[in-house]
Amino acid sequence: MTSPSEIIDMDRLDHTRCRTWPFLQDFCVTCGLCSSSCPASGVDDSDPRMLVRMASLGLVEDLVDARWPWICTMCGKCENVCPMQIEIPDLVRSIRSKRDREKVPGILHKGLVAALETGNNLRLPKEDFMFIIEDVAEEVAEEPDFEGFQAPIDKEGANILTTIHNKLVNTHTEDLKHWWKIFHAAGEDWTVISENWEGTSWGYFTGDDDAMKVMTGRIVEQMERLEVKTLLWPE
Amino acid sequence: MTVFDLLIKYIKEGRIRLDKSRFTERATYHDPCNYGRRAQKRFGHGYFEEPRWILDQCIENWVDLYPDKLDQICCGGGGGALTTGYNDERIFYARKKFEQIKATGATMIVVPCHSCHGQLNNVKGEHDMEDLEVKYLWELVADCLILH
Repeated sequence: MTSPSEIIDMDRLDHTRCRTWPFLQDFCVTCGLCSSSCPASGVDDSDPRMLVRMASLGLVEDLVDARWPWICTMCGKCENVCPMQIEIPDLVRSIRSKRDREKVPGILHKGLVAALETGNNLRLPKEDFMFIIEDVAEEVAEEPDFEGFQAPIDKEGANILTTIHNKLVNTHTEDLKHWWKIFHAAGEDWTVISENWEGTSWGYFTGDDDAMKVMTGRIVEQMERLEVKTLLWPE
Repeated sequence: MTVFDLLIKYIKEGRIRLDKSRFTERATYHDPCNYGRRAQKRFGHGYFEEPRWILDQCIENWVDLYPDKLDQICCGGGGGALTTGYNDERIFYARKKFEQIKATGATMIVVPCHSCHGQLNNVKGEHDMEDLEVKYLWELVADCLILH
C-alpha cells in the first residue's frame, strides 16, 4: 500500500493561504451536517464539507477551477445547520469571484457585461423597451375593469418606482400584468424607468461586488432624478 | 420596500379586496432562500410569516411543505443556476423539492421569486409533475382581485 505522504504534494497544503478569508472555515469540525443537508452533495463527487476543508487547506486553484461552486445555489441550508457558524454560501461566492471572468459558466458574465454596457442584460434598446411596455399596457386596457389603463414611464414624483426582470420584456411579457393590475386596483401612483430598468443584478451570482454597486447606484440615480422615494425591486 | 410589505399594506388599508373563493384546489408555498433563510442571516428578518398571511387572504386550501421556513429546501434555481448551462445538475438538484411538493398533494405552488418560478416550471416535467401550476404570489393576488 502506498502511503498518502508519498503521493500528496505536501507543499500544496498551506492552511494559511485562505486565513484572510473571513468565513470561519478553519473552525470546521468535519461533522458533515452541511453535506447531509445539501441537495447538491454528490454532484462531481463534491459537497460543502469538502469545499470547506479545501479552503482550510489552502487549495485555492482547485476550488476556483471546480464546477461545484457554480452548481451550489448558495441557498444557505449548510450554513443554517453548521454548528460552527461557518459562512459557507459567502465562501462559495468568494470562490466564484476568483474565477477568470471569461471562464464564468454560461451567460452569467455575458449578461452582466451587457447590463453594465447598455443598462440591461438583453441589450434591449430604449425604443424597443418602451414599445413593449406600451403594447402590453394596451392589452391590459382592453380587459374588463381596466379601461384607460396606462403604464407610466419616467413619471416624476411617482410614489413607487419598480424595476423589471429582463425576462418580463423578453419571453414572459404576460407576467408584467400582475403587478400592473394590482397597482391599478390599489390606485397606486407608480412608474417604470426607460433606462437602466434591469431588476436582476448578476454580480450577486458571479461574486462581482463592483458590478452590483454600479447596478444599484443607477437605480438610486433614477430615483433621485424622478424624486421617487419608494423602490419596489421584486427580483 | 419588499413585495410582501407592499401587498400587505394594500390589503390592510383596504385598497385592494380579494375573493377567496376562486381557487379551491390544494396549493402549497415555497420559501425562496433569499427572502427567507438568507435574509434572516443577513438582515435579521426572514420573510416567512408575511407571504403566508397573504396566502391566507387569497385561498383557504393550502398547506405548507415539510420542511419549510429556515429549514426549507432550495428549488435548485438560485445563485444563477438557471444561466450556468449545468442543466442536468439543476434537474437533479430539484428532486428533493419535488418530493416535498408531491407529499402535500398540491396541484399549485405559489412562489414570490423569479428564479424559483423559472426553475420549478422548467423542471417539473422531469419530475413527473407536468400539470403542476407554478404561480407568482402577486399573480395569485391579481387573480383574486375584486374589481367592482
